Amino acid sequence: MNAHPTREEDFDLYALGALDGDEKLAFESHLAECQQCARKLAEARGRIAMLSLAAPRVEPSPAVKQRLMAQVRTESITRSVRNIADNARRNAISDALRKANGSFEDAAAMLGIDHGALLDLVQKYDLDPASTGPPKNPRANPFPGFLRRWRAAILVPAFAALAIATAILWQQDRNLDRQLAALRTTAAQQHRQLDDARHFADLIGSSDTVIVALAPQPGQPLGSAHVMYNTKMGMLMYDGEIAPAPSAKSYELWVIPTDGKPINAGVFNPVTGRADHWMMKMPPGVEPKMFAVTLEPQGGMPRPTGPMVLIGHA
Amino acid sequence: MSSESGTELRASDAALIERIVQRDQAALAALYDRYAGMLSSVLNRILRDPQAAEEILQDIFFQLWRNPSQFDPARGSLPGWLMVIARNRAISRLRRHNPAAGDELSEAAAVSTINIETAAAQQQLIGRVKGALENLPAEQRAAIELAYFEGMSHSEIAQRTGDPLGTVKTRLRSAVESLKRTLHAQAASTS
Repeated sequence: MNAHPTREEDFDLYALGALDGDEKLAFESHLAECQQCARKLAEARGRIAMLSLAAPRVEPSPAVKQRLMAQVRTESITRSVRNIADNARRNAISDALRKANGSFEDAAAMLGIDHGALLDLVQKYDLDPASTGPPKNPRANPFPGFLRRWRAAILVPAFAALAIATAILWQQDRNLDRQLAALRTTAAQQHRQLDDARHFADLIGSSDTVIVALAPQPGQPLGSAHVMYNTKMGMLMYDGEIAPAPSAKSYELWVIPTDGKPINAGVFNPVTGRADHWMMKMPPGVEPKMFAVTLEPQGGMPRPTGPMVLIGHA
Repeated sequence: MSSESGTELRASDAALIERIVQRDQAALAALYDRYAGMLSSVLNRILRDPQAAEEILQDIFFQLWRNPSQFDPARGSLPGWLMVIARNRAISRLRRHNPAAGDELSEAAAVSTINIETAAAQQQLIGRVKGALENLPAEQRAAIELAYFEGMSHSEIAQRTGDPLGTVKTRLRSAVESLKRTLHAQAASTS
């Protein structure tokens, strides 16, 4: 191992990027083998980084934050879609193993994959093949030894217990029905989310999609929004942040077509610090001229009556 | 301009990072409001290209969103870590545009104890760093600015300024010694 740097400021000079040639090579060669010096270099990097604060202040444009948060929302939707797909795959494997009574060969055939791939997936999703198979066989003789002599004494309370168990099972059956209904609702919600995510991916991937920035109007609540629309696909997506509506009021998004009356595209009541976003279908043949968000009585109106808070021209 | 709400203003960097791990978008927005101006400034100073600076700024925060555990609070403060990354990315971008300038910097480990979670603490430290630089002799300050903001080595600075290499080395060594003394004391007082 090379010797430690002879001068303490070598760490700062290296962090600054000033060392070059043999000095740099010798420093790096030593650093690769010396944890103590690696620690000193990390400290020097943190110290030298403070020079950043000497740069003249330049605030980023508000569009950077808007793009960042839109990127974050897109990533979150993609992640949700991936989770839904993972859950669906996990359930399908679990179901196949159950139907195949735990036989990997049969389950793999049902799923149309080979045995090795199924084993990998079972490991990936941390499935317990034993728990997906049929219930274990009960013991062959439930009354061993001296209990045989007391069958009657046992059977009477057993029948009573059976009656109670039946009542409990009936109650459980009703609970399961309720749980099944809730699961169906959840599944329907997940399908809707998946459809939204697919439509969103189609919308952002299409070259015909137009993005319109909606700007705040003087004297109105502060906010900003984007509308993404595609007349060929007949889809529209709103994404924006705006100050909460005053009491007993709601915001309403309008599509103002080149020809015809304004079309209601959503009523919303924002929550501080949270963006509103939704997708909707546009009526066929509508060619937007502009988009506007107006302040309306709570619940919205069939046509715009209140002041325009955000406006964007298509 | 900061748009952090009262709750976000009071939250520590570590608490906000923890919320980002839990996929809380408001926490990322709060950290952006807290440090985007500082990072934008250094990116613009190095790159002198507002569009490139904004691209890197957005990318740094998106990477923080995707992989918040990359930052280890046990190893130092978030702004110090962000500044090292911003400077490395900007210098790296500069060098890609000038292939003769040498290899690309890596995002290596950095330890910083500075705490500038409030705008007031940030302003105070900015004043002290600027003061420390202004107190250096002009030629030392110029050399250190060429190294930090232009990503130049000893030899490149000598070539740019026409000064002998030995003189440049001495200037930079004296400059970092002075800055180390001053900034070390300041870091201790703000941590």
